[in-house]
Amino acid sequence: MKNSENMSQGLLKLLALDHAVDFLKNTTISSDALTWKRVCGSIATVLVILLFLSGAFMALYYSPYPGAAYDSVQYAEFDLPFGDVIRGIHHWSWNLLLVVMLLHMTRTFFTGAYKPPREMVWVSGVLLLLVVPLAIITGDLLPWTQAGYWTTRVRVSIISSVPVIGPFMVDLLQGGPRTGIVALTRFYVLHVIFLPAGIISLLALHFYFLRLKGLADPIMPSRLPKRNIALLPDMINRWLILFIVVTLAIGIATRFWFAVPYGDPADPSDSRFVPKPEWWVLFLNQLVSIFKGPFTIVGSAVIPGALAGLLLVLPFISRSPERRPVRRWKEILVAMLIAAAILGLSVMSWIEHFTSTVA
Amino acid sequence: MAALTGAAAIVTGIPISKYVIAPSLGKGDGKWIDLGEIGGLAAGKVQMVAYEFMVKDGWLVLPQKGFVWVKSDGDGKLTVFSSICTHLACNVIWREDAGIFECPCHSGRFNLEGKPVAGPPTRPLTVLEHKIEEGKVKVLLTV
Repeated sequence: MKNSENMSQGLLKLLALDHAVDFLKNTTISSDALTWKRVCGSIATVLVILLFLSGAFMALYYSPYPGAAYDSVQYAEFDLPFGDVIRGIHHWSWNLLLVVMLLHMTRTFFTGAYKPPREMVWVSGVLLLLVVPLAIITGDLLPWTQAGYWTTRVRVSIISSVPVIGPFMVDLLQGGPRTGIVALTRFYVLHVIFLPAGIISLLALHFYFLRLKGLADPIMPSRLPKRNIALLPDMINRWLILFIVVTLAIGIATRFWFAVPYGDPADPSDSRFVPKPEWWVLFLNQLVSIFKGPFTIVGSAVIPGALAGLLLVLPFISRSPERRPVRRWKEILVAMLIAAAILGLSVMSWIEHFTSTVA
Repeated sequence: MAALTGAAAIVTGIPISKYVIAPSLGKGDGKWIDLGEIGGLAAGKVQMVAYEFMVKDGWLVLPQKGFVWVKSDGDGKLTVFSSICTHLACNVIWREDAGIFECPCHSGRFNLEGKPVAGPPTRPLTVLEHKIEEGKVKVLLTV
């Protein structure tokens, strides 16, 4: 026993990792933070790791070429052991990630945990929330299905409706006006190199600021005695359990009940195909169809941009140290009105796209 | 250090940004696309005509597929409408029973003249320039 401990200590020294391990052992987390209400951040981290793992291995069987892309994705899904599970984990993980990130942000907002000194924890989190949709948008085109192709066409024309810079942004994103091989290759490289690099950097910053400024204390102090929990091994063990549970849950659910919807290969000349917006863009879609003609920019850029800007500057405009929700009813009311508007627009859009029958 | 960082950024940034932007700067050219013979279309009737032509996209020459709506104005005169909805570029569909072009994405509607009559679109359907050579209809597309 003593001998093997010495050996592992020696190995860590040899690899010059002993200081890093000591650092992790000495990093502690207050037991206040270990409640089920505060688990969303950990789940989000687990989902990001699952997305990177499943995505990296899906790339082994992917060929970014119009037509062949569809066949390569189908091959991986149906001809390889666990193909459906790995694709399912990738697909459902991004859906869940959006939900969990929203819950994480909602809780951070309600408890006022974003307030100084944790401004930059909040800002890096909001930036993550803005980068993840870019990964979804670029990922949707990759399987080269009718849904992915036509959804991309609609998104591209929304971007190009922004005056002055819109058309150039589209040409830059697609490498030209066409949604063809140049565009597919760009989307692929953005999806597997540049955006993951951005997500890793932002996540690293998020954790760095958190470590620097500390987790927020609970608003109501716990009656239980406060303990400090070591990141290594206690917290890491909890994350590993969470990782195993989430992986099994999504893997089993997708194998037996929730197969990833796939559909037909993209056909740019097939007019019968009507792209339906994904759940998370329903409200944006509704904004774009409400504001017409010269006002399109209000729905496509002004309102979404203002919302993103408001989220980013929130900790700089709401600086009072007061964290109790009752004393912050004004900002909570405003946030709830905005959330209600987004929900309302989403429901309107859902009714328009999923219940009306266009014969 | 600031100066050196700036220099390093310029030395790498200029070639890389030119390299990345290059294919985005090309302007689309007009190209006459052969739609074949269109005969026997009664005045006021609308017909879908699909086309396919080869186009160079980056390092590949691939077939570009699409379709247009051809309306007969009588006396052999035709109007060729682009199928692309002026709202968000979905393809509009001619509905014979209602006498309108309908966009399935946001229920935009255009009348027989291509004017928007309902829904989000505010601009009329694009009328494509066409000519008739040796009985075949050719249409000018930006590719």
